[in-house]
Amino acid sequence: MDFEEVDKGTHVVLAPEGKFNLVAAPPLKARIDDLVAAGKARLVVDLHAVDFIDSSGLGALIGGLKSARQQGGDLRIAAAGTQVRAVLKLTNLDRILTPYDTVEEALHGW
Amino acid sequence: MVMPPSTGRQEAEAVAHTASAERYDRFVRLAQAIFGAPIAALNLVGNDQQFTVASIGFPKGEMPVEDSVCRATVQQDEVLEVRDLREDERFATLPSVTGSPRVRFYAGTPVRGQSGQNIGSLCILDLVPRTLGRQQREMLADLGALLERELAVQEEMDLAGQVQQLMLPTSAPDIDGVEIAGRVQPAREAGGDYYDWFVVNDPDGAGKQLQVVLGDVMGKGLAASLIASEVRAVLRGHSRYTDVGDAVARASTTTRHDLEANNRFSTLWVGRLDPLTGALDYVDAGHGLAIIASQRGYRRLCQDYLPLGMPIEDSWAMASDVLGEDELLVVVSDGVFDVLDDSFDEAEARLPAIVDPGLSCRQIVDRIVEFAVSHEATDDVTALVVRRTTRSDAASSGSASATA
Repeated sequence: MDFEEVDKGTHVVLAPEGKFNLVAAPPLKARIDDLVAAGKARLVVDLHAVDFIDSSGLGALIGGLKSARQQGGDLRIAAAGTQVRAVLKLTNLDRILTPYDTVEEALHGW
Repeated sequence: MVMPPSTGRQEAEAVAHTASAERYDRFVRLAQAIFGAPIAALNLVGNDQQFTVASIGFPKGEMPVEDSVCRATVQQDEVLEVRDLREDERFATLPSVTGSPRVRFYAGTPVRGQSGQNIGSLCILDLVPRTLGRQQREMLADLGALLERELAVQEEMDLAGQVQQLMLPTSAPDIDGVEIAGRVQPAREAGGDYYDWFVVNDPDGAGKQLQVVLGDVMGKGLAASLIASEVRAVLRGHSRYTDVGDAVARASTTTRHDLEANNRFSTLWVGRLDPLTGALDYVDAGHGLAIIASQRGYRRLCQDYLPLGMPIEDSWAMASDVLGEDELLVVVSDGVFDVLDDSFDEAEARLPAIVDPGLSCRQIVDRIVEFAVSHEATDDVTALVVRRTTRSDAASSGSASATA
């Protein structure tokens, strides 16, 4: 799986697409870690093009959230589709990864 | 040539019956390309049969071991090269030499199994006599060594899967009034899903209760299974002394370092049932996939708690329900839910297929797991079903199935 990356200066938007699973999650997580290490710890993951997420995908988001927060930043998610929202709600991970409707909304306070 | 039974040949039989051929096809493709031979094969030499598990230019399948050339290769530790099989009295009368495909040239390198004995040979054959140079013989031996390594890794994975299966409960819990069954179908040899059941003495002195667990560690494969084993053992340990809410909270504390260090998390659903009254205490740590179902409908047994291993602290406390005598407790993993499009409406539509009172718990878990597998589940698939029973012949069973 490929993902788009746009550096907006104040934050970076990452947009994975398709199935966000065991295959796709590690490259995105590695990129997040590299961005955070380079001081870019305000991240938005735009999920509008993801049609399926599994526990490995969730793990990458949680792991990314952890590294971003450790560097004083944050990782926020936006535009999640039905399946992604259902899985976040099922696992109660929406308590720590609030699904914002749009990337713009996810930027509040930055 | 007399072939007394040996550990190596026993192992060859076992590997031949479990080997996934595609894994080894690339080795015979490489051998064929490197040596420009029309035939390349991986043959495993069993007690009475030779098993061709991967091949090009020659059909896969079995042949009597007397008709094989590789039976000689496995008796030595270096490459066996025969310039012309017709001129070698050991092989001149073999059916593949006198008849189709009339092979002339043979070179094979022995392949060792976990037992340390040779179990087969990676070989190339040609229809004309030829010889290999020293470098080519070394390349064939190197290719054989790589294949040996691949076999060893596969055997390790299979063994890990077996260990994980043997950690699942298989016998009825020592408690009256309950029927239970569970099944795991890992996506790979081993996985992050598991179920468990055991009898605990209620810490308040209320007698024996049955604890049932379904856990799902993020990810798949051997790494996830290692973490699952730890969560299982830690939860078992803590569960002996306290209620389910406290047991999950303590298990979280105990496993926190290992989960965080590995960037893994585990969802857990843990229930504790008093079969006499149906009283059911439970904790839902981000699992969300437990229901009580009957022909009247279903209700979810879910809470708002996080899974174990999250970067922020959570607390876990138990909730309570009552399992009616005509109701089923059904807990599944997300591998099942995924094939239902992660939708409770889809799940509800499937309920009539499992709430039939004529079905045993065993039959119900089989229906659930087979439904998920037949709908191309990509994740580990697990189901656990419990029902109260007043019958004295309460049956119970558990089983795990490795990857097909």
